[in-house]
Amino acid sequence: MISREVAWRVFAAEYNSSNLEVKGQEERAPSYVVTPLGAMINRLFVVGVVTDMENTGTDEEPLWRGRITDPTGTFYVSAGQYQPEAAMAMSKIQPPAFLAVVGKSRTYSPEEGTLYVSVRPERLTVVDERIRDYWVLETCRATMRRISAVEEALQMDAPSAEELMKLGYPKALSEGVVAGLSHYPDIDTSRYRTLVMDTLKYLLPEYHAEAEFPGKVEEGPEELEEEREDIDNEEKVLAIIDKLDKKGKGAPWDEIVDEAKKGGIGKNELEELTNSLLDKGLIYEPVLGKMKRI
Amino acid sequence: MEREELAPHVREIARVLGKDVDEQAIWKELETYLNLYRVSLETAKRSIVKKLGGDPSSLAKGTRKQIGQLGVSEQSVDLLVKVITVNQRDIEVDGTSKPILYGILGDESGTVPFTAWDADRYAFGKGDVVLIRNAYTKEWGGQPQVNLGNRAIVEPQDPGAVSIGEGQGPYYQEPKEVRIAGLQDNMGNVTVTGRVMTLEKKSVETSAGAKTVFSGTIADETGKVQFSAWHDFELKQNEVITIRGAYVRGWRGIPQLNFGERAQVIRPQVKFPGAAELSRPTARSIGDLERAGGGIEILVTGTIVDIRKGTGLIFRCPECNRVVQKGSCRIHGTVSASPDLRIKAVVDDGSSAMTAIMGRKITESLTGIGLEDALRKAREAMNPDVIGEKIEGKLFAQPVELVGNVTSDEYGLMMIVSAAKIVVPEVREQAAALLATMEGST
Repeated sequence: MISREVAWRVFAAEYNSSNLEVKGQEERAPSYVVTPLGAMINRLFVVGVVTDMENTGTDEEPLWRGRITDPTGTFYVSAGQYQPEAAMAMSKIQPPAFLAVVGKSRTYSPEEGTLYVSVRPERLTVVDERIRDYWVLETCRATMRRISAVEEALQMDAPSAEELMKLGYPKALSEGVVAGLSHYPDIDTSRYRTLVMDTLKYLLPEYHAEAEFPGKVEEGPEELEEEREDIDNEEKVLAIIDKLDKKGKGAPWDEIVDEAKKGGIGKNELEELTNSLLDKGLIYEPVLGKMKRI
Repeated sequence: MEREELAPHVREIARVLGKDVDEQAIWKELETYLNLYRVSLETAKRSIVKKLGGDPSSLAKGTRKQIGQLGVSEQSVDLLVKVITVNQRDIEVDGTSKPILYGILGDESGTVPFTAWDADRYAFGKGDVVLIRNAYTKEWGGQPQVNLGNRAIVEPQDPGAVSIGEGQGPYYQEPKEVRIAGLQDNMGNVTVTGRVMTLEKKSVETSAGAKTVFSGTIADETGKVQFSAWHDFELKQNEVITIRGAYVRGWRGIPQLNFGERAQVIRPQVKFPGAAELSRPTARSIGDLERAGGGIEILVTGTIVDIRKGTGLIFRCPECNRVVQKGSCRIHGTVSASPDLRIKAVVDDGSSAMTAIMGRKITESLTGIGLEDALRKAREAMNPDVIGEKIEGKLFAQPVELVGNVTSDEYGLMMIVSAAKIVVPEVREQAAALLATMEGST
């Protein structure tokens, strides 16, 4: 039986802490992001507040990126020209709004040993607060189930998926927990337990006065976002240089500064970006005051 | 691979392709695939069957099992066993006499009776250890029975490969007690206790002539199951019965309970929920239904995560009710098709996903779009697809409660929905309760 990949309910904090990706052996086997609590995510269902949504590509080749926050952190979503329906739906979103997204897990590994995760939407729509609250509750339950599966596995001498399944855990979760345990050796379930409890309080008005906004489990996504913005802006600068380099002898610096300003990049930032591009060997200075693509 | 090793695979390909095939051509193909292209045997067999116009899915996929794991309707199974007893006798087939073998096979997990339908093909004796490939099983008295048909291959093995203790194993095993939600296709020898919810007497044609069958549904707290009793146990509606030695057959994935004269029916004096309580649909998770293969009168709570093509305003053939494309039915040609509304949704509860099919009435009540309304809107837009888009806009990401029967096939689970509503649960109470249990446990 071919079954459709289930849409996991997972909080941003857990999802963004993942840095393990596994792929099946067979041809065209799906790949999964394995979270520290053993969710094996190929598809996920997320409801949160969309805080920004912008086209970082061009009109012809759009690349829509957005952020969706839940009580624990931020999901990064993006869709481009190869996801025309999702990109079209994203283009119509006016933040802030409650947004429900069903999408596929995506990974980005800028260098060996680091893995960043994001969501590639399949379908999305604006929903109301009740649906968000219901998602938060469901996700609390699902997270607790994973916590208890991990805690059971930690008590085993030799954790195995078969033993977890005997205890009544589903196959995918049992396999995910075992895969996760060898990759995330220092998993601290009490942190996630606290996270779930804080999130439940978030749903209950009687706690609102005292409840702090639940914290992030790990840092990382913020840096990622900055890094991504840098990369996007570097692309912009390269495009400017290409455009201004009409005779193939380099683009005059002053004109680059003016053009970058129109694109929202200040002079200091531009200098940083060009330095980075020089370091990467993507541009060079053929004569003083001119920049040229290599 | 040696020629004699390939022979059974050539025979199997020939079997799948039917009578008029040239075995020499299959030999050539198989050798090319294996020796020249060096693909796996499985891939080679599938490709050849497909190339020669057959259905690759009818190729046997033998799985290795122990006797204790055997179900009552295995299609193709491999067994490593010791021959405990073997005898020959003759049977009459179409007026001629033909020798068959019968006896008992054993391994560490138990013993099982067997029949080999062509004695001349085999040369094993009592005490031999053999690997039997491509055997199948049938139900006999609620228990599996191993059959060696024309696909079976028997390979001699080292006598030490199976060790059975002295005097071990009468082949009768105690039936296993199972709740109704735990029943799965192919289970043999189960004991089930439930209340008879519906009952009818029917006459069915079988290969052995007309037979009377008593069928209906029985229920326990975990769910309902359809049953067929092939013997008159004087069952009565609403009584609580325990059936010992029943077996399970799947119908489109839905487990169904069968029992014949070798089964035992007893009337236990136990406290059991009443018919009114048991007649309510049973709440199950989709992951649980996937393990069972399906079920009847099921309640599922999940979220609509996708709306499939074929949702919205559709047109049906007045002759056969099939959906027509561009006014043309693929059986009856151009017809004056009648409009209808339908939803094909994917519902996901976090444990798994299933397709849910909803007819016109449910579509209307769930979306507030009536058929007349839909026709008018489609005319205005000059495009019937707008209805599907509207439905998607209304339903995507909505939590729903669905009641219906759930079947499964190679494409997954499917519910034919008989009742549906959008339900956004009140979260505060449940959140407070969950928080209280968590605080209690730390």
